[in-house]
Amino acid sequence: MIAFVLRRVLASIPLVLGIATIVFFLLSLAPGDAASLFVSPNITPEVLEQMRRNMGLDQPVHVRYFRWMSAMLRGDFGISFSRNQPVADIIVQILPNTLILSFCAFLLAFTAGILVGVLQAVRQNRLTDSSLSVVGLFFYSMPSFWLALMLILIFSLGARNLWGWPIWFPASGMTSVEYPFMSPVEQLRDRVAHLVLPSVSLALVLAAGIARYMRGSMLEVIRQDYIRTARSKGLSELSVIFKHALRNGLIPVITLFGLYLPFLFSGTVLIETVFAWPGMGRLVVDAIFQRDYPVVMAGTFIFAIMVVVGNLVADVLYALVDPRIRYD
Amino acid sequence: MRIRHVLGRNGVRGPAFVALTLLLSACGGGDSAGRALAGLPEFCQEVLPRVEAYLSQFEQPSGERYGGTAVVGTIGEMPDGMNALVSSDYSSSQHQSFVNLMTLIDFDEDFEPRPYLAESWEFDEEAETLTFRLRDDVRWHDGTPTSAYDVEFTFSRAIDPETAFPNAAFWTHYEKGPDAVEVLDSLTVRLKVAPHAELLDPWRATAIMPEHLLGDVPPAQLRQHPYGSRCPIGNGPFVFEAHQADASWSFVRNPAFPEALGGPPYLNRYVYRIIPEQTTLLTELLTENLDFYVAPGPDQTPQIESAERLELRTFQFRSYDLVGWNARRAQLADPRVRQALTLGTNREEIVQAIRRGFGEVANAGVPPYHWAFFEGVRDSLRYDPQRAAALLDEAGWIDRDSDGVRENADGEPLAISIKYNLGNQQREDIAQIMQAQLQPLGIAITPQVVEWGTLLNQINTPDIRDFDGVVIGWVTEFKLDDHDLFHSEEVDQPYGWSGTMDPELDRLLDTLQTVVDREEALPLWREYQYRLLDVQPYTYLYHIERLAGLNRRLQDVELDARGEWVNIREWWIPAELR
Repeated sequence: MIAFVLRRVLASIPLVLGIATIVFFLLSLAPGDAASLFVSPNITPEVLEQMRRNMGLDQPVHVRYFRWMSAMLRGDFGISFSRNQPVADIIVQILPNTLILSFCAFLLAFTAGILVGVLQAVRQNRLTDSSLSVVGLFFYSMPSFWLALMLILIFSLGARNLWGWPIWFPASGMTSVEYPFMSPVEQLRDRVAHLVLPSVSLALVLAAGIARYMRGSMLEVIRQDYIRTARSKGLSELSVIFKHALRNGLIPVITLFGLYLPFLFSGTVLIETVFAWPGMGRLVVDAIFQRDYPVVMAGTFIFAIMVVVGNLVADVLYALVDPRIRYD
Repeated sequence: MRIRHVLGRNGVRGPAFVALTLLLSACGGGDSAGRALAGLPEFCQEVLPRVEAYLSQFEQPSGERYGGTAVVGTIGEMPDGMNALVSSDYSSSQHQSFVNLMTLIDFDEDFEPRPYLAESWEFDEEAETLTFRLRDDVRWHDGTPTSAYDVEFTFSRAIDPETAFPNAAFWTHYEKGPDAVEVLDSLTVRLKVAPHAELLDPWRATAIMPEHLLGDVPPAQLRQHPYGSRCPIGNGPFVFEAHQADASWSFVRNPAFPEALGGPPYLNRYVYRIIPEQTTLLTELLTENLDFYVAPGPDQTPQIESAERLELRTFQFRSYDLVGWNARRAQLADPRVRQALTLGTNREEIVQAIRRGFGEVANAGVPPYHWAFFEGVRDSLRYDPQRAAALLDEAGWIDRDSDGVRENADGEPLAISIKYNLGNQQREDIAQIMQAQLQPLGIAITPQVVEWGTLLNQINTPDIRDFDGVVIGWVTEFKLDDHDLFHSEEVDQPYGWSGTMDPELDRLLDTLQTVVDREEALPLWREYQYRLLDVQPYTYLYHIERLAGLNRRLQDVELDARGEWVNIREWWIPAELR
């Protein structure tokens, strides 16, 4: 197993470097550069030229590429053009925010998705099943930013201003303005409260998809002989479903895990924008619009690693749930 | 029932517990306190404790108005931070001038210069020198006195080409070189300057930077120095507290701010929040998590107006929207065609539709409150399709084949594309309204969307200029100078979009900048604005009336063209509403 993981990690190095190379050259094809986004008659062409020199943009693209690559291999991501800070400093500030949000959304999505899927399979074609299907499709077909706005209108604006509900959630940010002055317990509560709406709007859409997969695979599994054997042994229904059937039923869902993991780091731009969550998606998209190559490259690099890690984790999980799969 | 029980025990609580622990450990990181030093660059670790030590000697002021936190929400980050030597973005400049740093002079309500960090100044016309005398009671937040050496440092870095200061052109008429600036004593500094219009303005627009902290930084590295976004040490009314990238900036009162300048601010704390979505901004204002929503969209005004505790405020600003024409194109070469385009566009209706009336139709870049504004052009080029049609006929554009579109003698149709940037709904609407309004006149307008960076490249690169018309806007300074836009010399420079060459405009643009006396300049400004009507390099659309959504608990917020933060020192919150 360890040998397998090592092999996979080694094999992914050229893959990640290849992705970074392609992105670098694609970016250099985009019209304009970071300096040309300073639009003001107060900026003379000489100043723009000097800016380009200071940013290293006066060099031909292959020189820039080798400089970037050699610096990056030494762990130096360069300096952001638009934010005037070392890229590594920015990533260190931003990446944890994304990890927190993604982790919560993931946890919610898979817990809810798997449970709903199992429940639907067990109650196949009954009212529970079909009504959950309708609810699932409703969320599945809803754009996440729209869902996000609706959640804000209901649980933030409506709950507080219109209906005076006892519980309402903050509409934006990671913490309240008074956060630094709170006790540790209040700080934790504040953080969790700020997490609820963004992670729910990310998770609902994912969970709906996961539930569909889960339902399908569970239905297949519970018809198999070994399940009948388990039942005839006199095992309780719970033990049959959660001990025997669930493990096999999870295999296709694990594939989803590998697929969704990178998505959660990059595909959250809209959610991050709506909830003013300072995350990686916003960072990279803003950087693309500002032609801030060092940030885009660093972001892409991290996303590429996430894809590789996501798939690796999925492969390892296969082995854990399915004893037939072995990596020797 | 039993299933639920089992799920509760193993399925949910376990992972939820893990999540909580992880969150807890995440919270324990760098951002738990207002000013945690861990993780900050070395420079910051060194200077921030000095600020703490110096300011803690001062007693916080007490009184009815002192206290509370004000939260301002805006759509964008301040990418340039508090580093005045790299700054060109609006919010950053505002915070440098009014919040964290100080400028030598500032403007009063009538936009006239008044002393601020400089106690007095003297312009010697004969010797062509400008001498500033600084206040002796201003200190940097680490206790070092602000001195003439800081002014010398700021000026010499600003004009140093290595710095690549975006606003270096402010100092066009200032002498450069080793003798350009001279420190006479620790509070007096003398600069060499040729007489010209509004010669003090650069000192209003650019804040003074601390020499003792940044003097050793090579000019080319000033831009990326951690001072700007991680640990700025200013001398203004507010002290930097913390910056969380893409989320917020916070500042606290400077208890040592000189009494003679009004003393320390009323607010204990001031937070600038970045919320990139307008609907969310509005929600936060409505739920009273924000005290001040900067520049809400015109479509959001009814909701702000109908909320009891909120107040919608408007003020004339220094920005305008326009359609720039590329006169290098055969269809647009004739000034009569460009005039017809303006006459055929119902700009009053555009102001109503796009800005809900929050704006005023423009005919030049001079805003209506500016001393140089010429009343005589206020009502010029009003919507007049008949006159537009007559001008087109006169210019030889006639619908020769009855297809609804005019052609010239060579049979080329009067087809014009108007570009606008991706994601800007107002500009998209403008292009579409113009398409509809100009179609009956036989002008075929095609709106075309282009991503912002690409659009800038297409219009600003002299060898490309791939556009007919472009919907865009300018934000101006108080010192107006259209030289870069309309002078013949600029035709092959980035902002010479129109490519028009008019000797009359050239003469006016050249003279205007050399006239020091306003009385003398006024007739020239009139002539200039009048001449623009004929040349029509742009179809000026409107001067923007800027909006502000305020919670009524925030008192005494002054709003005018100087900017939203102009009197932040005087904002206060009644004790019962804190």
